[in-house]
Amino acid sequence: MRMHLFSFRATIQLLIMLFITSFGYAQVEFKATANQQVAVGDQFRLIFSVNAQANGFKAPAIKDFSIVSGPSQSSSRSMQIINNQVTSNIEYSYTYILQAVKEGTFTIAPASVTVDGKNYQSNSVSITVVKGGGSQNPQAQENQGQSPDISSKNLFVKASVNKSNPYQGEQVIVSYKIYTRVPLSQYSVSKTPSLTGFWSENLIKDNTPLNQYREVINGAEYVVAEIKRDALFAQKSGRLVIDPLELDVIAQLEVKRRRSNDPFDDFFNNSFFGSNYQNVKKKLLSNELTLNVKPLPDNKAGKDFTGAVGSFNINTSLDKNVVKANDALTLKFTVSGSGNLKLIDKPAFIFPPDFEVYDPRIIDDIKVASSGVSGKRTFEFLLVPRNHGKYSIKPISFVYFDQNSGSYKSLRTPEFNITVEKGTGNDSYVKAGAEKEDFQYIGTDIRFINTGIFKLRPVNHFFFGTLWFWILFLLPVILFVLFITIWKKELKKRSNTALMKNKKATGVAKKRLKAAEAYLKNGNQPAFCTEVSNALWGYISDKFNIPRSILSLELVSEALHQKSVSDELITKFINTLNNCEYARFAPGDKSEVMSNLYSQAIEVITQTEQELK
Amino acid sequence: MKEKLLLLILSFIVLTATADQQAVIQKANTAYQAGFYENAAKLYEQVIKDGYASSELYYNLGNAYFKADKFPSAILNYERALKLDPSNEDIIYNLKVANNQIIDKIDQLPKLFYERWWESLKQLLSPDAWAVTTIILFVVFFIVIAIFLLSTSVGLRRVLLISGLLLLFVTGIFFIFAYETSEEAREHREAIVFEPTLPVKSSPEETGIDLFVIHEGLKVQVIDELTGWREIRIANGSKGWVKSETLVAI
Repeated sequence: MRMHLFSFRATIQLLIMLFITSFGYAQVEFKATANQQVAVGDQFRLIFSVNAQANGFKAPAIKDFSIVSGPSQSSSRSMQIINNQVTSNIEYSYTYILQAVKEGTFTIAPASVTVDGKNYQSNSVSITVVKGGGSQNPQAQENQGQSPDISSKNLFVKASVNKSNPYQGEQVIVSYKIYTRVPLSQYSVSKTPSLTGFWSENLIKDNTPLNQYREVINGAEYVVAEIKRDALFAQKSGRLVIDPLELDVIAQLEVKRRRSNDPFDDFFNNSFFGSNYQNVKKKLLSNELTLNVKPLPDNKAGKDFTGAVGSFNINTSLDKNVVKANDALTLKFTVSGSGNLKLIDKPAFIFPPDFEVYDPRIIDDIKVASSGVSGKRTFEFLLVPRNHGKYSIKPISFVYFDQNSGSYKSLRTPEFNITVEKGTGNDSYVKAGAEKEDFQYIGTDIRFINTGIFKLRPVNHFFFGTLWFWILFLLPVILFVLFITIWKKELKKRSNTALMKNKKATGVAKKRLKAAEAYLKNGNQPAFCTEVSNALWGYISDKFNIPRSILSLELVSEALHQKSVSDELITKFINTLNNCEYARFAPGDKSEVMSNLYSQAIEVITQTEQELK
Repeated sequence: MKEKLLLLILSFIVLTATADQQAVIQKANTAYQAGFYENAAKLYEQVIKDGYASSELYYNLGNAYFKADKFPSAILNYERALKLDPSNEDIIYNLKVANNQIIDKIDQLPKLFYERWWESLKQLLSPDAWAVTTIILFVVFFIVIAIFLLSTSVGLRRVLLISGLLLLFVTGIFFIFAYETSEEAREHREAIVFEPTLPVKSSPEETGIDLFVIHEGLKVQVIDELTGWREIRIANGSKGWVKSETLVAI
């Protein structure tokens, strides 16, 4: 039971550990690598590499080794396309070249980098430095000091250049030759020129056997060997100096030994066994070279020139002209010829905007022959058109400087026409739709069409602004104006008849009371009263066609009543008639009584006239 | 009396002219139901070519194009249908489905709240419906004013006066709606992109710098026109020039 429990726990721990490690692998890996064992004096690389885009590299303190160079940063990307899935790997590396200086075992502490804001630490590296040096050239060390001098006449290094007056960027071949009259057993380059201002290419590989020949200079015969040959490309114009090359050579000098009496001794010491030579170490310095680099002439070709100097040819090809959307295309651009091929930058093609374009893969097939650098550089562009349609890749110019003719030459790529068809199964559409929007409408359909009779109408015809619209719109205005005028007129007419009637009635009353008015003026009260009375009686008599002789107050009241005159007015009328009788004998101010009566009479007649109508 | 006669004659002419078209539409509908979408589209187009249209016709044509996988044409016709019948739910729905099939998804430039209200109010009715309601409201306004003038009761007069002024105000707004919707429909200020991939240039010339890329089926606003070129604005407010033939006006 206990045992079981233990193993169970162990399994879980193991699983957790596995999980953590695998998780870590899938993420960022940052490691340090170096040789585990080196000898004193050896140079070796210490590389910190990380498989992600990293920054903020913090190097550990390196105290036990001397740093020859570094840290130099480099990055590489690789890309794979499997079933339209693009995966890319990035590797960033920081490289040191270290030299072991003392024996012992040393540990280089971890370095750290930052990836996506997170800090990662590398492993530490432990390096064992063993005793070295002896293996290199023990004889030279042994024999130093007692070596006889070798004159520089018998042994020297000469540097020469095939062209001391090149154009900027033109290929220049520098060769270093050893001239010797003594046998040499070994040589090593102890210091190469720094070659600042040049881009260089080593033309002789390290392990190629030396080509030896004999040459006579000033009557002396030399054995000549070319030990180093570089193709140089000046990066700037002006006077450029190439520092001397430093060589360590071991020459074999015949040693004049004291003759021994032993004949065998002499025999064994002869050259046949090589023991009568002594190894002598010597340091050689080549001559310094000076180049006068001419600047390139004014470029009339414009911005297309990117620095290629030499003689070149270009070839552009597209693997297919008809492709389905989301399928890849490859455009190859190859520059071949001789010159600074490795400095040729990627061509500035203008690809259709909807193409996904990846950084070109650069394939160099550069031959380094003793005649210089030649070969070809190919740029492979991977293009993925995302949408269907017709596209074209416009021609571009490749401009280089031809040093032979001293002029710029321009080469043109052809135009490529590409037909992109719809992707299979309308993939692009569904994908595009699905990616950008919610999944609400996937699998749904549009709604069905309308059937039945449509209310057709002329295309692009709208009611607003047509003649009919304006007629119908202004119709109510016209009707309203018409209504207002008619209504106004009617109103006026109505007010006019009322006014007229009033006027007429007053006129009738005034006419009747004309005689009374005359008596009112001269103050004849009895005559006035009689006249008012007459006027009133006469008015009723005329109005109702009742003879004067039969008229009485009752009759008047009755007649007015029949014509539906208001009771109030009837009373007023009767009162006025009565007042006429009383006024005749009334005491007091005669004129006041008369004018009162007069206005009363006018009023009753006018009102009656109005009410009778 | 004369007006009525004129109207009668006019409607008679329209009816006799469309009898043939109705037959074509029936044929197209049958073709659509049988799954011959391309044929159906051709027949619908023929009716439009003869000079007749309706929102239903544009809607059916849009459906036929949608089924034939011609999304830009489908969107164009849905938009045209929507112009004539802005509140039709089927058109709005199908347009949304069709817009889901195109590549560009451009964020709308946010509008101020009153602009949004104005736009949504405007889309309640078709241009013709706005024109008719404007006239009806105007007539009602005059009737109210006439009653106001005739009435003697003070309370009634006050009510009539206020409602009359309100009616006049609403009539004015409706008039603006009618004007704007008809002008928009008439002037074709919107267009659909018909080029699969269309780079929008900074100036109306071939050498202009490509500012951004749009794709077929996108609705754009046409804001200016030069020989062979149109200046467009997309929903997010970006502007640029494209060749005239790459667009079809709604």
